This record gives sequence, C-alpha cells and structure tokens, in this order.
Amino acid sequence: MISKKLAIEVLNTGLSTGADFAEIFVENKTSGAITVDNGKVEGASVTKTFGAGIRLLQNNRSVYGYTNDLSKKGLVKLAKSLSNSFHNKQVVTVTSIKNKSFKSVAPTAIPFESVDKQEIVDYLKKGVKAIQEYDKRIVRASGNIGYNHRDIVIFNSNGVQIKDSIERGRVAFQCIASENDKIETSHVAPGAASGWEFFKNDTNPEGLGKAAARKAILMLGAKECPSGKMPVVIGNGFGGVLFHEACGHPLEASAVSKNLSVFSGKLGQQIASPLVTAIDDGTIINGWGSNNVDDEGNKTQRTVLIENGILKNYLIDDFNGRRMNEKGNGTCRRQSYKFEPTSRMSNTYIDNGTSAPEEIIKATKLGLYAKSLGGGSVNPATGEFNFACSEAYIIRDGKVCEPVRGASLIGQGKDILLKIDMVGNDLKRAQGVCGAASGMIPVDVGQPTLRISEITVGGNGGELK
Amino acid sequence: MRINENKFFALAKENGFEAADICYSHATSTSVSVFHKEIDSLTEHESIVVTARGIINGKFGSVETEQIDKTTPQFLINSIKDTARIIEKDEKAFIFKGSKKYHKKNVFNKAVAEMDVSDAIKTCFEIEKKLYAYDKRINKVITVGYENEVGDSFLANSYGLKLKSKEATYTYYAQISVKEGDEIRTGFKVFASMDPNEFDIEKFVKDVAEDALKKLGGAPCKSKKYPVVFSPETFSTLLKCFLGPIDYEEIEKKSSNFVDKLNTQVSSKKLTVIENGLAKNIFFTYYDDEGVAVNKKEIIKKGVLKTYLYTLENAKKAGVEPTGNGVDTNGKVIAKLNQLFVKPGKKSEAEMISKIKEGAYINELQGLHSGMNARSGNFSLPSAGFMIRDGKIAEPLSMITIADNLMNVFNNIKDIANNLELVIQTSTTCPSVYVKKISVTGK
Repeated sequence: MISKKLAIEVLNTGLSTGADFAEIFVENKTSGAITVDNGKVEGASVTKTFGAGIRLLQNNRSVYGYTNDLSKKGLVKLAKSLSNSFHNKQVVTVTSIKNKSFKSVAPTAIPFESVDKQEIVDYLKKGVKAIQEYDKRIVRASGNIGYNHRDIVIFNSNGVQIKDSIERGRVAFQCIASENDKIETSHVAPGAASGWEFFKNDTNPEGLGKAAARKAILMLGAKECPSGKMPVVIGNGFGGVLFHEACGHPLEASAVSKNLSVFSGKLGQQIASPLVTAIDDGTIINGWGSNNVDDEGNKTQRTVLIENGILKNYLIDDFNGRRMNEKGNGTCRRQSYKFEPTSRMSNTYIDNGTSAPEEIIKATKLGLYAKSLGGGSVNPATGEFNFACSEAYIIRDGKVCEPVRGASLIGQGKDILLKIDMVGNDLKRAQGVCGAASGMIPVDVGQPTLRISEITVGGNGGELK
Repeated sequence: MRINENKFFALAKENGFEAADICYSHATSTSVSVFHKEIDSLTEHESIVVTARGIINGKFGSVETEQIDKTTPQFLINSIKDTARIIEKDEKAFIFKGSKKYHKKNVFNKAVAEMDVSDAIKTCFEIEKKLYAYDKRINKVITVGYENEVGDSFLANSYGLKLKSKEATYTYYAQISVKEGDEIRTGFKVFASMDPNEFDIEKFVKDVAEDALKKLGGAPCKSKKYPVVFSPETFSTLLKCFLGPIDYEEIEKKSSNFVDKLNTQVSSKKLTVIENGLAKNIFFTYYDDEGVAVNKKEIIKKGVLKTYLYTLENAKKAGVEPTGNGVDTNGKVIAKLNQLFVKPGKKSEAEMISKIKEGAYINELQGLHSGMNARSGNFSLPSAGFMIRDGKIAEPLSMITIADNLMNVFNNIKDIANNLELVIQTSTTCPSVYVKKISVTGK
C-alpha cells in the first residue's frame, strides 16, 4: 500500500520535533453485507475502508491523525502537522525497515470474495424460512451476513514493518413475534475470524433460525420479571458479557494506568471468589475476537487475568504501559485507521469450574435463571453495571419454572466477582461487538453456567414469591 | 481528489444503469483531550467518503468507499452491479428527481472553522484547573476534551439534482469523579455549538461538578410505584425510543406497536411533539439522504399521532409524500427522526415538583441498548436521580431500576414543565416531564 522508502520519510517527518515513537497504520478493508427480510433480499452493500493513521508519542503524550490520502504529499503533510505538537530536537531516526512476520491464528479456506453471493442468499433464506415456519405469531424474520477482508500494514520507528490479513464473517438471524399488542424480539448471531467455511461447515441456518424463533415465542408468553435481591444463575455463553462489562473493561490499561479503575494497584490481590479464573485469549484459532497481531504490531497472546480469584494481569498496550512501566501484551486494538488504538479485550471468558450446570440449578431454592443476557454497560470509575436478560426463568425448589421477561441485573463489578459461589463445567463462548474509545471491535465473551449468591434484579413484576 | 459526478453518471449510463446518484462527505477535524495538566491526546483528520447507488433492471445496487483514485469510478460501477443483481424487492426502484422547494440556510460559521486549537487547549487546561478548585471532593478530572469539525457534503443524481451543505461545530466535554469516604461518583457534560461565543466556561464547570457532587450519598429507595419526574435529558431519551418504531417500514411489516395508530391517541393530551430539522442549530439539515426536502411537521399533537415517517419507497407504497427522514444505512434506506421539539407547559420545574408528596426525579438512564425494547415498548433501565419529598428535591438515588412500558408512560404524562433544554445526545429540545406512576426497584 505504501513503500518502505515513503514510510521512512513519513516516520522521520513525524519524529523531527522530538517524538520518541512514530507509527503508521495503513488499512484497506472491503466489507460486504446482505440482508434478507421476510424471505426476500432487501439490502446488499459493499463498503471499502481505506486510509492511514499516524501516531506520535512523546513520554505520556500521544498525537494521532488520519487521512485517506495515501499519496506522499498527503502522508508527509499529516506527519508534519502532527509533529507541530512537539518542540524539541529529533531523538529517534529511522534508517531502515525490516519485515516482522507472525503465524496466523485465523486461517481462511474459502475467502468471501470467491463465494457466489447467491450461496450466501440461499443460506440466509434457509434460516429465515425456519423462523417463519416456527410459529404463526412470528410477524417478521430477517437474516443478515456481514463479512470483511482486512489488510493492514504497520510501520514504526523501531524499524519494523508488519503486514497482516484477516477475514471475518458473522450472521445474525432476527425474529419479531407479536400477539395481543405484545411484541418480542430475539436474535442469534454467531461469527468467526474465518472465511465462508465457518458458515458452510460449522453452522446450520435452520438451527440458528429455530433458536431465534423459540426465544421470541417463549418470551411472548412470559410474565413480567419480579424485582429485588435474589440468587441468580447465569447461563453459559453470552452470559459472559457480565464479566466483559463489569470486570474486563476495568482491567484495561487505558483505565488502570490513570488510576481510574477499581482494580488499579490490585495485582496479586484477591478480587474474585477463589472459584473464578478468567482469561483473555486473542490466539484462539478462528475465534471471532482473535487477531494474528494487535493493531500496534505486537503478537496477540493468552493472558490469565484472574487465577483462583487473584488478580494476575491487566490488558496492556504499549502507550498506556508507559505509565505502568509495563510492555504491551498484544491487546492494542482499534476499529479502523480512524481510531487511535488502545488496550481492549479479544476473546475473554471465565474458565470452567467443577459443578455440573444441573447441580447449580438444583442447589438454588428460589431465584432467577438468566439463561441468556442481552448486553449491558458499566461505568469504569464506579464499577456500577447493568445487564438485560434476553431469556430468563424463575428457579423454584431447584427446578427451572416459569419464563419471565424484562429482567435486568444491576450491581458493582468488584462485589459481583466475590459473590460467585458456584461455577459450572460447561464453558461456551459467544460473539459480540464491543464499543469503547477506540471504536467498535469484534470480541468473544464466555463463561460456564455460574451462580451469584445475591444480585439486584430489576423488573416490573413485583416481589419474588 | 474528487470523482466528477457527470463522468460517473456517463459511465453508469454506458453500463446500462437506469439512474444513479452519488454523495460525497468531506470532513476535517481536530480534537484534543487533557489529563493531569498535560495534553493526553491530540487528533487531526481529513477524510472523504463517497457513497453511490444505481438502478439496474429496476433494482438498487449500493456502494461506499474511502479510496478515491483513478480506480474508484470502475469500483463503484462494479460494486453497484454486483449488489443490484441479488436484490429481490417487488417494487421497482427509483431515484428522486427532487423536491419542489428546499429550505436551504447558511449555517456555516467561518469563525468556528477558524477557532485556534491552542486557545482551545488553554481552555481545556482552565476547565481542568477550575474543576479541581471547585470542590475538594473532586478527586479526579478523568478527561477534558475539545473537538472542532468542519464538514461539507454534496449529493447529486443523474436527473440533475444537486444539493450541498456545509457546517462547522465545536464541542467541549468533561468527565470527573468525586469521592467521599469509599463512595465514588462520576459526572459528565458535553457542550456543542456553532457559535464560538456561546461557550460559558463557568457554567460548564459548575454543571460538570454538580452533576457528580449531587450524586454523593446516593442509595436505593424502597421498591414501589412512585410518581416520577424525568429531567429534559432522560425524557428526551424515552421520547426518541417511543417514536423509533414510527418508520412506516416497521408499520407495514407489523413489527411496531404503532400499527393502526395513525391519527389516534397514543399519549396523554398534554404532549405535543414537533419535528423541525430546519431549526438553526448544530442539528440543522435541509435534505435527507435520498435528496428529499426536510420540513417542519407535527409528529404528536395533543397526544394524537399525526404521521408515520416515509422513505421514498414507502411513501410510494402508502400513496403519500416522503417525509424527509431517509437515512442510508449500508445500502438500505430507513426513516429516522430529525431533531424534535416538545411543546413546553406553563409551570417551572420547581412548581411542577411542588405538587408531589413522595416521588422520584430521574436524571440518568443507563443500559438503553439492552434494557429497552423500543418495538414492544418494554423497558427496565438502571437509573439515578433524587427522591422528591414534600414537593422538593431530596436525597440522591442510585442503583435503582425503573421498569414499565413506553405506551403506559406516555399515556400517564400528568404535566410538562417549561424548562426547555436542547439535549445534544438526543437532538431534542424538551422540558422536564411528570409521569403519574412508574415502578422503581431499589431495596
């Protein structure tokens, strides 16, 4: 996309006023999306993301700029303009650039570009048909596949060039069911850092469609969820969004390094129940949140964040690592060249425990079974979080009973980790898109079935009896 | 570099396109944030995005690119062909020839475009300093930031329609945390404008500081149904969710709770909502993504729903005029609200609250993306605010959840105050609103 010769010139222009580090991040990504709504293809698009971001660092300061003019003139102009932020003599000079390569953790067998779009359409139609045929109360069924091929090249003042390519694809089947003025929506959305083979070999559109339909119909008949404090069993898979929001974000160096996180300065301390071991792993083969290299060119890795309740590691990027005297651990990510990169999660999950999921339910006298969560958010400074349940039931005398809707879970991240009192052995990961300072990025969340001894449940159904 | 639209239309014609349109959005921006008396980050950018659509065999194809060079015209043509080929809509696609009249206004203020970034940096440092000096309990100024963006866009189609717009806006924002004992609370405010003289640093500092300080001592209230007063910000959030499903596509596909509700009572008679994209502020817009003129219109008049929102395609299906709400989302046009205005009542907020013996004042709602089902109207949202006791704002509330259905909430509006405020986050100008009863979960 740009030559080494030009990269050296741009880096040195950026470094000319005393920056101690310079980086060029070049991106060329082609994305496609196809939408089938109620059985017909209603939308199809192609989007090309193309440009470069330049980052200059001087101690704890960063300046960032981006442009989609990748000509010599455009890049030198940007580097010059950014360098105006510093006023010292040049301390680093780039004279040569060597290639650095990495082993791929996301091999692709069938690139999306090679797939006949009709094959994608047929796949979506199968899933949509399965939703429509599930129940007469389903008023709308849609399916969407989004995929992309991303090429990046990173040059930096350490004299290296890193090239990487990756493909990702994700399908979402959505269902809307309606009866007597009530409307319920549901969706399922698996994805992978893989080519078309993930859809062709590893997923079944009819099964996914049915799963979406089942959930919407079930919730249509559900009563309002009761409210108050109660034990809550959270189902495996997307239930892991709880850990992601309440504990994962506060472990990111962007918050930790500035002492803005409840977990700042707590390395080596007990921050969770001894039953909890949590991991961030950017190297899972074809994992939705995996990357060969991170967006500042460091190799991705498997990082144990919490081991038996003890805080072991943070998620660190090189820049925020400066405040912490730590090197980055391959977690620096960004949505695109339009975002300055920072520490982010990849595939983050609570590891397996020893209880069978049935045992956990059986051990709960009266409480909520949040089989799946819909998403949530957290205030990193206070640790307060909230999650909505997309499928939930009341547990009575150790049995899963009536479904309830409109349930939300609220609490404090640091408390909740300590209140986990049973961890299952059925770890599962699920796909999501995480939004934060450096944009929207694909991530996996995950956990086995687990129980929180007490958490505040919000709902409109009065007291739990 | 720029793609000449006429050359693109000629190439489209050669390739058998029945019609085509193209849109450029060009933007430059500078943003800066400070932390601990130092510049934490500074970002500059210049970018162009081109979106183009074309009709082949009665079907739309669509493409967007940020790569502008000599390969671009052919890339646009190929991508449009490739996507149009698989579209299966029954209706024949068409491109709009243009509205009879456009209410174009010049909102571009050169003075904003020329604001000096070094002055803005000084202002950020001053805000940080003033925040630390405001109250000892302010233990961290998490961030203070400034952004200046100049954008211009251009929409043209093969029927000769050409529409242009240009604007410059600047924003200041700040987030702090306050600490008392073990309790930590945060406060955040954002200010945006098209007039450099409008920013009042003292007021801004006070707003940020008080937003956090007032939350100290917050605790959950007893769970029950309370009369609830929503601040302008929280009410506008609920209003945007409430009116989300009035896109006619949702109505036609029966996936909205507004089916068969046109010209019927959908809320309390106290509520009148006007959409006016032409209001001269940072949300000004005079044409939509399909080139349809934006006009002022009533959405809800004394509780009666006056219109659905129609894209070109849906207006044709329904036999009505398009409403100027089209937004192109990855090649599919949907209808979204422009900026809204809620008609104010006569009482001040304090007078309105004075009638409530025991209630909740809600000024923060979280978890909208997961706790709100706008289609069904059901919501369960973590919130914060204050108790209302004997007609006055009392102790702060935190870790509470409000849950209800939007249809109920809007039908139970008891009063509307006169404290109009432009809420940046929701592009809505609205006052505080009093709702009879909502379930609040606390302890």
